[in-house]
Amino acid sequence: MTAWKKSYARAAPWFLLPALILLSLFVVWPLVRASLWSFTNADLLNPAQKQWVGAGNYGGLLADAQFRQAFGNTALFALLVVPIQVTLAFVLALWVNRPEPAWRWLRVVFFVPTVVSMPVLAVLWTILYQPAQRTEMGLINVALTTVGLPTRAWLHDPHWALPALAFMSLWQGVGLQMMIFLAGLQGVPAELHEASRIDGANAFQRVVHVIIPALRNTIVFVVTVTTILAFRLFVQPYLMTHGGPANRTRSLIQSIYETTFLGQELGRACAAAILFLAWVGLLTLLQRYFSREDRA
Amino acid sequence: MWLPYSHHVPAAFLPRSGGAITGILLIALVHLSGCDRPTPTSARVVRVWCHQGQEAENHAMRDIAAAFNSAYAAEGVRAEIVFFPDFQYTEKIAIAAAARDLPDTFDLDGPLVARLVDAGVLQAIDRWFTAAEQADFLPSILEQGTINGHLFALGSFDSAMVLYYDRAMLAQAGVTPPPNDSGWTWGEFIDACRRLKAAGLEPVAMHLDESADEWYTYAFSPIIWSGGGDLIAPDQRRVQGVLASQQNVRSLDAWQAVFREKYASTDPVDPNPFDHDKVAMDWSGHWMARPHLAHKGEKLGAMPLPGFGTNPSAPCGSWCWGMARTARDPEAAALWLKWVTDSRNGVEPIVRANGAVPARRSAFAAFPEYERPPYNLFKRQLETNAHPRPQTPGYAALTRGFAAALRDIAHGAEVPTRLQMTEKEIQAVIDRRPASTTIAEAPR
Repeated sequence: MTAWKKSYARAAPWFLLPALILLSLFVVWPLVRASLWSFTNADLLNPAQKQWVGAGNYGGLLADAQFRQAFGNTALFALLVVPIQVTLAFVLALWVNRPEPAWRWLRVVFFVPTVVSMPVLAVLWTILYQPAQRTEMGLINVALTTVGLPTRAWLHDPHWALPALAFMSLWQGVGLQMMIFLAGLQGVPAELHEASRIDGANAFQRVVHVIIPALRNTIVFVVTVTTILAFRLFVQPYLMTHGGPANRTRSLIQSIYETTFLGQELGRACAAAILFLAWVGLLTLLQRYFSREDRA
Repeated sequence: MWLPYSHHVPAAFLPRSGGAITGILLIALVHLSGCDRPTPTSARVVRVWCHQGQEAENHAMRDIAAAFNSAYAAEGVRAEIVFFPDFQYTEKIAIAAAARDLPDTFDLDGPLVARLVDAGVLQAIDRWFTAAEQADFLPSILEQGTINGHLFALGSFDSAMVLYYDRAMLAQAGVTPPPNDSGWTWGEFIDACRRLKAAGLEPVAMHLDESADEWYTYAFSPIIWSGGGDLIAPDQRRVQGVLASQQNVRSLDAWQAVFREKYASTDPVDPNPFDHDKVAMDWSGHWMARPHLAHKGEKLGAMPLPGFGTNPSAPCGSWCWGMARTARDPEAAALWLKWVTDSRNGVEPIVRANGAVPARRSAFAAFPEYERPPYNLFKRQLETNAHPRPQTPGYAALTRGFAAALRDIAHGAEVPTRLQMTEKEIQAVIDRRPASTTIAEAPR
C-alpha cells in the first residue's frame, strides 16, 4: 500500500464519525428500540413496565381484520394512484418539455399543488367533494349536475370514498413526478432524437423506441417512489374521511398512528411500524433489482 | 372539552404523512434520555402544564398563576406554567409520560382520567380536599374525577349542552316551544323539524363538520342514555352486546331519520349557521351561549336536549386537573390544585374568560346570569341528569369507534350492522389490554 493510501485509510473513520454518530443516535438506536418494543406489550404511558410477548404482536396484527383491511385499502390506493399518476406525469412531461416561456408557466401550474401543504388541500377538497344538500353543493357535484350526471356523497359513499381520495392525491402529486420526468427528458441526448427523425420515425415511434428506453431508470425510480409515497397515505383519510365510511379508507399509517396514540399500545404499534418498514424495504429491493438489470 | 371549531386548528399542528413512524422513533429516542433529573431543592417549583384555550382563557390562566405565586411567595412555592396547543394535547401527555418527563400537575380532558389512572400516571388527590370542600363541587365534576372510589381529578368548570332555538323562526313555522325549561320528547322534536322544513326553514344544526371524534360522543351520547342504553357495561370493559343493543339501535335509527329527512345537514360548511340565521335550532353547548345571546338577544330560547321517554339526559365533562404520580412535591402541587379549583382564585377568573359552567356551587353567586336562561338550564342539568362519558381505560378507542359509526349512520349506514362492527373493533382493543387492578367497578 502506498503512503497516501495508508493515510487515507487512517483518516477515513474520522470523517465518517460525525455522520455515524448522528445516524446511530437518530436512526439506528430508535429503530433498535422500536424493534425491541415490538416483541413486548409495552404501554405508551408506561413503557418501562412491559412483558416479552415474542412474536405475539406480529401474529396478532397479521390476524387482525382491521389491520389487514388497512393494508388492503392502502394497496388498493397505490394500485389506483401509481399507474395513472406515472402515466399522466410522463404525458404531461412530454407536453411541457418545450423551451418557450409559456410552457414554463404551465410547468409551474402543474407543480404548485405539490408545494401546498396537504392538510390545506384536504380541507379544500373536502369542500369540493361536498354532497348535495338543501342549499349547498360541492363544486364537483355542481359540475356533474351541469353535464347531467348524478351527484354523490363522494367521501361518504363506501364505493367512492377511496377513489375520491386517490383522485385528489393524483392531482396533488402528479406535478412532482412530472418534474422528475422533465429532468430525465432533458438528459436524453439530442443526437438520438435527430437520428430517429432522420430514420423517419414519427412522434409516437420516437416516444416508444427512443424516449422510453432512454428513461428506463427514471421510470423505475418514479414508479418506486410513487408506490412508497402511496403506501405512506395518511393525511387524506385522517382529515377527509377519518378512515370511514366503515373503515374503507383507513390507511396503514393511520392505523399505526391510532394504535400508538389512541390505543397507546406501543408494542403493537412498533410491530406494525416494523412490518411497514419491511414492506417498504421489499419494494425498494425490487426497484434495485429492476434498475440493476438495466445497467448490466 | 374539545375544539369547538375544527378550522381553528393551525395546519402546522396536523400530523403529516409518516408522522406515526416519526412519532414512534421520537418516543424511542426521547425514552433514552428520560432519566429522572436532579432538581434544585431550594425553591419549591410546581411544574404545571395547561392546554392552550382561547386567548382570554390563557390570559386568565397566567393571572391565576401570578396570583398563586405571590400568595405563596413566603413559603417559597412557585408555579411554572407551560401552555400547549390543545390539538393532540392528549398525545403530548402520552409522549411525556413515555419519556418520564411529566409535570407535577396538568389539566386533561375528563374522559381520559380513567386511562391515566389505569396506567399509573395519576395519583389520588382526595386527601388534599376535605369532605366539605368536595361537597361544594358539582356532582358531575366529582363523578368525572372519581375512579374506583378515589378522587383523581377536579375541574374548575364543567360543560353543558342544550337545544337553542330562535323564537321568531319557531313562531313563523307555527311551532310552540315547550313551557318553562322542560324539553321536547323525540316525537315533538321531529314534529317541530317537520313543520320548520315545511315553512321553508332549515330546522336544526348538528355540526357534523366537527372534525374531533369527541364531538360525536359528547353531543350524541345523551340520545343513547335517554333511550335506556349505554356505550359500555358498568364494568367499563365490555361493549359487546351493549353498544349494539336493541335500545341503541332504536335511538340511533331515530337520530338517523333527522338526516334522512334533511332536517339537519350531514356536511355543513358553516360552523355557526344559527347565528347567521340559516337554521332555526342549534344542538350545541354552553360555549355558544354568549355568541347566541349577542346575536339573537330576546329571540334566543333554550331547552334541554330532546330525548326518549323517561330518561332526559345531558352530557357533561371538561378539562380537569390531576397530579402526576411522579410529582416531586405533592404538597406544593396540591396547593396549586386547591388554588386553581378555588371559587374565588381559580373558578371565577377562568369562567369569566371562557364562559363555561362554574364547577363549584359557591362560585355561582359571582355569576348572576345563572338565574336566567339559558344559564340556569346548564346548572340544573349538571345538578340533576348529567352523565359523564364512559370511564374506561379504552376510552380513546371507544370514542373513535363511536364517532366513526355515527358519521356513517348520519350518511345512511344501516344502524345495527354498523354498530355491531364498531362494537367488535372497540372490544378487540379493550381485550388486548390486561385487566386493570386499579379500575374495577367504576362508580356511576
